[in-house]
Amino acid sequence: MITKYFTKVVVRFNPLGKEAKSARLLLCAIPPAQRTSGTSIQNELLVNGSSKSPIVKITFKDKTEMEADPSSMTFKELGNYFDRHSRKLSLKESIESQ
Amino acid sequence: MFKYSIGLSSWPRFNVAALRNVRFLASEARVTVKPLHSRKTFLIDSYKDMMDKNPVVLFAHHNNLLKQENAFFRSQIQQLGGKMTVVRNQLFQVYLRNSHLEDPCAPSEKLEQNRQHPLMPLFKGPTAAITFSETEPDKIAKLLKLLDKSSDKMFVVGAKIEGQVLDVPSIHDFKTLPSKNALQGQLLGLLTVLSGAGLVRTLEAGSHSLYLTLQSHHDNIDPENKKSE
Repeated sequence: MITKYFTKVVVRFNPLGKEAKSARLLLCAIPPAQRTSGTSIQNELLVNGSSKSPIVKITFKDKTEMEADPSSMTFKELGNYFDRHSRKLSLKESIESQ
Repeated sequence: MFKYSIGLSSWPRFNVAALRNVRFLASEARVTVKPLHSRKTFLIDSYKDMMDKNPVVLFAHHNNLLKQENAFFRSQIQQLGGKMTVVRNQLFQVYLRNSHLEDPCAPSEKLEQNRQHPLMPLFKGPTAAITFSETEPDKIAKLLKLLDKSSDKMFVVGAKIEGQVLDVPSIHDFKTLPSKNALQGQLLGLLTVLSGAGLVRTLEAGSHSLYLTLQSHHDNIDPENKKSE
């Protein structure tokens, strides 16, 4: 997963639920150095009977927001999903830097 | 069979049957899935020790911590009287599956394993166990406060307290309780206050009424009483 272009990561999950695995793996896939250099990470724990649904919401550098449901996707699928936009941004960056 | 085993003549046979479940260091080697002196066996044994000896075990998710953050959390937890252990998920799950058996490292049938252990779903991703050797809710409250301030580098996802599995809201309920000693003191105080007035009387009411009934019956059938009338 390309995490370089994330500016804000919001993760909401139930630690006892099925979505916990991909949500927690996504949280720990963000390097600690990036946390200190400006990416904000927020997480909210859900309870068994709560009405809110689990979600992963990521804001990119160009202020695009992408959302995904961790209960229906594996960590790899989540990574591929967010990489779609990250790759666009990296391409743009490489063109502009020329 | 049983009749014979009591007699002195079959004393050795009785002895063997009785000692079948006793393991001697010299007579029988410990059977483990992984080699006896391997790291995996050692870790599962240490997890069993950790879970059996500590009444309070909190499980926390840690987002890959920097070295100084790791040291900071460990020292803070140590100051509260706890200990942070990063666990290996697969080995901890093996321990949980076999925790009700005598030896969690021994080979076990699939049917006798506990695959529905309530703590099982917590071991998906980086997990650390924070253990306290005494049940003191105020220390847990301090720990939760510390982790709240850590801006999601580390957060509690579940706990096992006094043999009970708790989820996050029940941990927050638990931390508001007074300590175990204080609760026991309160109960004792309550009993002393009650025994002054109601409790002792209630407890002895049954025997007292029995005594009165019997005494009156005794008075009725007593020949001396009749004579005096």
